Amino acid sequence: MLTGPPVVAEGLGRRFGRVVALRGVSFVVPAGSCLLLAGPNGAGKTTLLRILATALRPTEGRARVCGRDVVREADRVREVCAYLGSSSGVYGALSGRENLHFAADMAGRPRAAADRWLERVGLVPVAHRPAATYSLGMRRRLSLARVGLLEPAVLLADEPFVGLDEAGVGLVRELVDEVRRRGGGVVLATHDWDRAQPLGDRVLLLRDGRPQTEGACAAASAGGLR
Amino acid sequence: MRALRRVWTLAAKDLRVEGRSLEALVPSGSFGLLVVLVLGLTQGTEPDRAPAVLWVALALAAVLLVERTTEREGEEGTLEALLLYPGSREDLFWGRWLALVVLLLALGLVMGAAQVVLFGVRLGLGWPQLVATGLLAACGLAAVGVLLSALMVNVRGGHLLMPLLLLPTGLPVLLAGIRLTEAALTSGAPGPWIGVLVVFDALFLLVGPPLFAAVVEG
Repeated sequence: MLTGPPVVAEGLGRRFGRVVALRGVSFVVPAGSCLLLAGPNGAGKTTLLRILATALRPTEGRARVCGRDVVREADRVREVCAYLGSSSGVYGALSGRENLHFAADMAGRPRAAADRWLERVGLVPVAHRPAATYSLGMRRRLSLARVGLLEPAVLLADEPFVGLDEAGVGLVRELVDEVRRRGGGVVLATHDWDRAQPLGDRVLLLRDGRPQTEGACAAASAGGLR
Repeated sequence: MRALRRVWTLAAKDLRVEGRSLEALVPSGSFGLLVVLVLGLTQGTEPDRAPAVLWVALALAAVLLVERTTEREGEEGTLEALLLYPGSREDLFWGRWLALVVLLLALGLVMGAAQVVLFGVRLGLGWPQLVATGLLAACGLAAVGVLLSALMVNVRGGHLLMPLLLLPTGLPVLLAGIRLTEAALTSGAPGPWIGVLVVFDALFLLVGPPLFAAVVEG
């Protein structure tokens, strides 16, 4: 049961010692929509996503995911959101199937969901092989399946297209669409504007950790976001 | 119930990964055996020296074991993925602790066998006390190890901190292990040392999970 908009950030900020990685970021992701995060390297996109995913605590401001505070109710936030990071998060010594079964068991999801996702990302023929023998693209697909089987209300994706072929990119699009159809929200950070723009409703441009502009995706151009 | 399942799932995963790669047990076990051999050759192989040699070798090997299992969890972003699964992060402490207890016991068995061969140690009737000592020591060292491993991952050069922190913190376990092993081999009285191990374990198993959860917060 969702309470309020999927994601709300109010004056969110994070310092690492004296370095300000993020400051004064506020936005709302309404139900069924996707916010794109754009900006150069070091703009604070990953920091912002990691705060929303509860991997990092904010040093200022606050954020709520499905009405749950990311600091005070971090355990409950993790029940409704999933983070697709730039690392695969899979164990090389385990097979593809074992990796997904482990993820299902940890998340309290049925193993049948893991098997369905294994099929969906096209890894059934290599499901018995250790993930260490997979190519980068295959590990990314496995990672996508690991996140997909959680059926999150909020998807936080950091450069989700990296290492994927066109079919893999199609799987990311499907996952984003599914979350939106369920009435959830997506926050997606990317430099791949051409692939991301059709998925986004609004775009937030960050620079040096500060929000620059926020607007509709359709009106934004790749050049203006660099 | 779900927490127990998560703990078991995580421990089983750690043990399966180690069972396939042996990348923590083989280097730490080899190093421990080397320490036993060097100390045996330089200090003499009389059976009364065996308890001290066993526990010093075990403590040094345990440092390597904890370090390697921690490093492995940081590879490919698996630690972050683990931290972001739904549920309490205290479950992660218990899962890692359970796996580490099993690995430390395996290490202890290997070291113990080396004592029998090199020092001619005869167990006699003291084996139940030795088993209890090994189990209590493994529980305590594993709790400290998991807690310190959480510190390591968030600190640059954290792997250097492991021996600096684990050995002094685990000193009561080391001392109790030596005294209890001596008592078991000579059929002597255990004295207060079982109590020392029990208090050590209770302390770290009580404060370990919430501290672990607090430390892994970014």
